[in-house]
Amino acid sequence: MRMLKIVIIIISAIFLSNCTDSTEVVVVYTSVDQVFSEPILKDFEQETGIKVKAVYDAEETKSTGVLNRLIAEKDNPQCDVFWSGDPVRTIILQNKGITAAYHSPIADGISEVYRDKDYHWIGFSARARVLLYNKKLIDESEVPQGIFDLTNDKYRGRFGIANPLFGTTTFHMAALFTVLGDEKAKQLLDSLQLNGLVIATSNGDIKRRVLSGEIACGLTDTDDAFEALKESDNVDLVFLDQKGIGSLIIPNTVNMINGSRNVDNAKVLIDYLLSKQTEAKLAKSCAQMPLHKGVKLPEGVFSLDHIVPMKVDYRKTAKKLEEIQDYLKRWSEN
Amino acid sequence: MVRKLVHNELFIIGFAAFFIFAVLPVIYTISITFFNFQSVWANLQELNISTFLLLLKSILLSAFVAFLATTIGSVLAFVLYKTTIRYSSFFKILLLLPLFISPYILAVAWKEGFFLMFGSTLVLASYWGVIIVFISIYTPLSMLIVGNALVNISSEIEDSALLMTSKRHVVLKIVIPLIKPALITSFILIFIFSISEFSVPSYFAVKVFTTEIFTQFSAFYNYSLAILQSVLLVLLCLFLLFAERKYIANAPFLAIGNKGVVFKLYTIEKQKVLLYSILVLWLFVSIFLPLTILVAQSFSGGAMYLVQAINLIKPTILNSFFLAFVSSIIVVFIGFTAAYYNSEHHLIKLAKYFDLLLLFIFAIPSIIFGISLIFFYNQAALSMIYTSYAILIIAFVGKFSFIASKLISNSLKQIPVSLDEAAQIQSIGFYKRLQMLILPLLLPAFFASFVISFIFIVGELGLSIMIYPPGAEIMSVKVYTIMANAPHGLSSAMSLIVFLITLGIIPFFYLLVRPMLNKYHLSK
Repeated sequence: MRMLKIVIIIISAIFLSNCTDSTEVVVVYTSVDQVFSEPILKDFEQETGIKVKAVYDAEETKSTGVLNRLIAEKDNPQCDVFWSGDPVRTIILQNKGITAAYHSPIADGISEVYRDKDYHWIGFSARARVLLYNKKLIDESEVPQGIFDLTNDKYRGRFGIANPLFGTTTFHMAALFTVLGDEKAKQLLDSLQLNGLVIATSNGDIKRRVLSGEIACGLTDTDDAFEALKESDNVDLVFLDQKGIGSLIIPNTVNMINGSRNVDNAKVLIDYLLSKQTEAKLAKSCAQMPLHKGVKLPEGVFSLDHIVPMKVDYRKTAKKLEEIQDYLKRWSEN
Repeated sequence: MVRKLVHNELFIIGFAAFFIFAVLPVIYTISITFFNFQSVWANLQELNISTFLLLLKSILLSAFVAFLATTIGSVLAFVLYKTTIRYSSFFKILLLLPLFISPYILAVAWKEGFFLMFGSTLVLASYWGVIIVFISIYTPLSMLIVGNALVNISSEIEDSALLMTSKRHVVLKIVIPLIKPALITSFILIFIFSISEFSVPSYFAVKVFTTEIFTQFSAFYNYSLAILQSVLLVLLCLFLLFAERKYIANAPFLAIGNKGVVFKLYTIEKQKVLLYSILVLWLFVSIFLPLTILVAQSFSGGAMYLVQAINLIKPTILNSFFLAFVSSIIVVFIGFTAAYYNSEHHLIKLAKYFDLLLLFIFAIPSIIFGISLIFFYNQAALSMIYTSYAILIIAFVGKFSFIASKLISNSLKQIPVSLDEAAQIQSIGFYKRLQMLILPLLLPAFFASFVISFIFIVGELGLSIMIYPPGAEIMSVKVYTIMANAPHGLSSAMSLIVFLITLGIIPFFYLLVRPMLNKYHLSK
């Protein structure tokens, strides 16, 4: 009898685990690294009293968890809000009918370049693609200033990118194809490969390899680069192609999920994430660049006003991405 | 009225529960892939020569790993289980440590270590890296399997042979043939583990069949092709299980304890230095090196990273251990049911298929199993399961019951049939025999299954990250998601703490079961 009671208690604990009053909750899935997203969501909980149930993922895992989960849950969505680290994933979801439109009043302060015209997603705090380099291995005067410089013989076998099939690197590739045209972009990639390009598993891996000196430089995102700067004085970063095609800007995006069960709370969270306050926090924690004007920046964080951005249409870039995936797979496997 | 020798209720509960909760979701997903997705025909054409070549490459890689790990494991097993070497228990425990560390963490540690020692990781970022890490993880498993087979060889056989011929001949002509089933079991199990593992080849950027499945899934969102490819992998594993059944039906796999067998120990006076050197070298390479790197990096920022790591992991410990505890108990129950009724399959025909179902779920890639659970359970009627910890428990039980069943099955084979027959003659009923005879004799195997499942579940990531309920704090998921952008020191500190607390809880479990072990096994 005592055993039976224990079993009943355990089974109840399992099934009642994770239960919250549904009027007080919002479910958010995020591909933004937990170390940065969790503090923002905790602040939201404290300030609004709405309980956040989060599912975290990481770019290191190619965000497989959340994105595939959102697709698999399409017919019975559990998630209310998707906070993505880049627009491409959100556009994939939008194309599959998984996003819902929400015109947040806060979005009016954000350039229309960084939001969907029907408000299926809205961008905020951006990262950029940068070149992280090891100062011990590359002299200041020799630092590449453009992506084409990496085809130069002096960098042979000393530079890397993350797997081009995943994450922001795919997005970067697609943006290059959009801006340069297919032929020129393919020539560039072939030249990089001939020059001994090292393909790492992720942007984080690029950071680790540059820090350790295994490679002299590598393309990564500003948040990884700033983490590297915190860890070592031997590394620095450069925004590439400031006199040419510009650097790719990658905003975070937030969107409501079609069929969300907590629409009102989802709207509150979306407004919160888009606010200047959140942008200021992300600028401080991971050097993300605010899209709103007038957000005070911590020392060392760049302003989008001082960077020449790559002129890309995010929707067209997402479409291009689908077109070139097979090519990228073949290229990276060569 | 004839009294039934074996009652079916337990089998029906175990089999039905496993089939409905774990197998049905996968069948459902494969079915909708084949019947509902229009792209199946196009994807079947994608299964071209290059797919099969890649599969062949993965088979060769896994076979090579399985062969080397089994060879090294056998040497270690012989030294520790069949010789009079001192401190053998200490060495046995120490050599098992790599099993407590997740393959991904070991891969990171190896890479860092290689760079520190040689200034380059080029050699490691290749098939060799995958082979080295896999061998360091799976050799202890082989050591356990072969070691337990060695101690089950009666000393009478070897003593008689030694009267006629040399030690070398006895080992080559008697010992090795007698442990052949264990060698094959070790080979097959390590082969299945290696061919299904994703994180290590992915980390070393080595293309194998599982990374291809992952690419189709995560870069192309082509579920249909990913599932078709997974089916190939599962068919291969099922084929191996059939082979195992045919050739090694009575192989002692990881048998816990040696019931009544007096086994021979060889004296090692002359080879003492050589054998100690082998042990120390292996300890250095597989344990000391990666652990030193983890420890050094953890303390690279003084105690700061350790304090941060403890604070981050603290909220996850209770949840993760509760889940692992409950799941491991169910795993042991399912493992026992499968093993026991399989041994009595002449009475219940369906029982011999239980093993196949366990292997089916064990061999299927975690991503596919995870997505199957989402497709199946994310429905209004089943949301009670999907949104609670129940979904994780189902996933863990599905994934790890195969190992428990193998472990318990071979312990069962060591129980003399005469014991059960004697009880039957005395007209002792089925449940009474289970309670008073079979279960107590299997207690060490239950404990080992529980502990091994617990360790695997606490470190499990691939499934957990796909299906953990929103808001839940799971240790493996948190470590991984935090690691993504954390400094080296913090990542290593988190890995080290997870390793230490997992290691630390096992003596606690031992203390819990010790009174029962004392009652039935340890007291003389």
